[in-house]
Amino acid sequence: MLYKILKKEDYTNFIKKLISNYEFIGPKKKDEVVHDFVPIKNIEELSTDYKRTVIPPAKKLLFPSTEELVEYEVGDEVKINPVVISNEKILFGINAWDISAMNFLDKIFSTDFIDENYFAKKNKLIVIGKDCDPTETNFSLSMGAEYVKEGFDIYLTELLDRYFVRVATAKGNELLENYAKTKDAVREDFRDYDLYMDEYRNKFSLQVDIKNFYDNFDSIYNDEKFWERVAKNCYSCGSCNLVCPTCFCFNVKDDMELNLVIGKKIREWDSCMMPDYGLVAGGHNFRPTKENRLKQRYQCKLKTFVDKFGTYGCVGCGRCIEACLAKINIAEDINSVKKEVGV
Amino acid sequence: MVIKMKEKENKNTIYTPDVATITKIERVTPSEILFDIAIDDPVKQKEFNFMPGQFVELTVFGLGEAPFSITSSPNNRDFFQLCIRDMGNVSGALHKMKKGSKVGIRGPFGKGYFPFESMKEKNVIIIGGGIGLAPLMSLIKYILEDRKSYRRLVIIYGAVSPEYILYKGDFKKWKKRDDIELFLTVDHPDEEWQEDVGVCTALIPKITCPVNKSYAVVCGPPIMYKYVVVELEKKCFKPENIFLSLERRMECGVGKCNHCHIGNKLTCVDGPVFSLWEIRNLKEAI
Repeated sequence: MLYKILKKEDYTNFIKKLISNYEFIGPKKKDEVVHDFVPIKNIEELSTDYKRTVIPPAKKLLFPSTEELVEYEVGDEVKINPVVISNEKILFGINAWDISAMNFLDKIFSTDFIDENYFAKKNKLIVIGKDCDPTETNFSLSMGAEYVKEGFDIYLTELLDRYFVRVATAKGNELLENYAKTKDAVREDFRDYDLYMDEYRNKFSLQVDIKNFYDNFDSIYNDEKFWERVAKNCYSCGSCNLVCPTCFCFNVKDDMELNLVIGKKIREWDSCMMPDYGLVAGGHNFRPTKENRLKQRYQCKLKTFVDKFGTYGCVGCGRCIEACLAKINIAEDINSVKKEVGV
Repeated sequence: MVIKMKEKENKNTIYTPDVATITKIERVTPSEILFDIAIDDPVKQKEFNFMPGQFVELTVFGLGEAPFSITSSPNNRDFFQLCIRDMGNVSGALHKMKKGSKVGIRGPFGKGYFPFESMKEKNVIIIGGGIGLAPLMSLIKYILEDRKSYRRLVIIYGAVSPEYILYKGDFKKWKKRDDIELFLTVDHPDEEWQEDVGVCTALIPKITCPVNKSYAVVCGPPIMYKYVVVELEKKCFKPENIFLSLERRMECGVGKCNHCHIGNKLTCVDGPVFSLWEIRNLKEAI
């Protein structure tokens, strides 16, 4: 990691140069509450002091809701072509927990088999992170995702009169050398950064008691009353999956144009909350009830990947809490597992 | 009208099927058909190495993709065989296909049935229910092609009724062999039926092999596993020597789509064959 300082008066110039030289994706104000990561053509459109985005930026760019995978032509012979899209982009202003979620997706799409459709986009994505304030439903601090040290090229932290810049890759360093005036950070800069980080961490008001969850969850796994209570209001609508930055379940579908000659294979997001998620041919459903499904979601988010990757599958962004129509609250539920089992 | 696809020079991705041809169709029961399939590119067909227990993702172009276990022996390199019951969209469409029809094939995927080296010099007990025999058939054929390397081979197979018994011709031949102990059972016998009647679980007590030198391999409908496992454990089979092939909805086959996950395992890459020991650590597996 290289540590640099970018003066505030040089910051605007840096961004302007990036916008004019690259396809630049950044946060833009959508309404009073919500921002969205969209292509930015002009620095005035950019609004980095955002708090809320509905669709997570990394997922939106790298794992879109529908994506063409394969294209084919069926005639006397069948021709099949993979569809892989990649072009260089800058993702600007993504925060720590969303980078953390992107790191999680990287692991998913590179374990066992490399998913070329994801990595063709990922490998050409330049990531410039920037801290943003957490919402009231954000519990990233408890999940260890309020801070990242990988998954970005450059990470900007705004101090009073300057930006503390962490440079993680050669590409990031090249960008700074080409488009910004920076100097190396010195002890005084680190001291201000340290002070900032302490204050920043104090902004995370919501905390969960996740430490013993791994084992506690097993003891409560078969407690039907508990899960009935937790899933009582669930509509099985899947809103939690759509807004989740780490949810990656998808269906693979084939589709044919009306000429019945050109067809394609696509993937589209699926939701483990949907009743047909565990349905197999013949009609057997491995998770027929909403209690099964919500329990499974919590297991997937909070246990499964502790075994597989050593990290949680949840970064604590709190989007699912805000999106849930039934007011199901993963943070409360983590704490109630603790209360139910512990003392 | 000439329709031209966008030219792309990409290498194949994990989602890109190979074009394959149905070379033979044989109806074996009122609901099941055996399909011989060969990948059109002869080099790719020759390189199509699999182990019993693995599966392919088969595309019916324009309609969709579904996973099917390979039922032929790995030693057969000219084609591979799938035994398909008319159950869903893809299998239903396949049942309407003819010899020479084109399909897409991805795979083989999944882990096969455990290292065969450790099975050698041991007894192998194979328990299949209904269409669950299909993946087991690959294993049986593989063992029979090297029969002397294994000790006793016990096959227990249950079907709904005699007309739904798969591989009737093979069973007729095997019945005469003294190196295969074959037990067949049906739920609904007809007048000519001379074998057992009832579920295949009831035949497990008939196994006389010493259990410490035996492997049991089971595949059948989800409901069957609970009862089979109880019976096998009554016979003191060790959980690490019992292997079950699990069914889940495998959309991608390559460990990405997460549909087939059971706890921290993915049926498509970590399975579909698991030892009972592994399954014990997975809630909701059986």
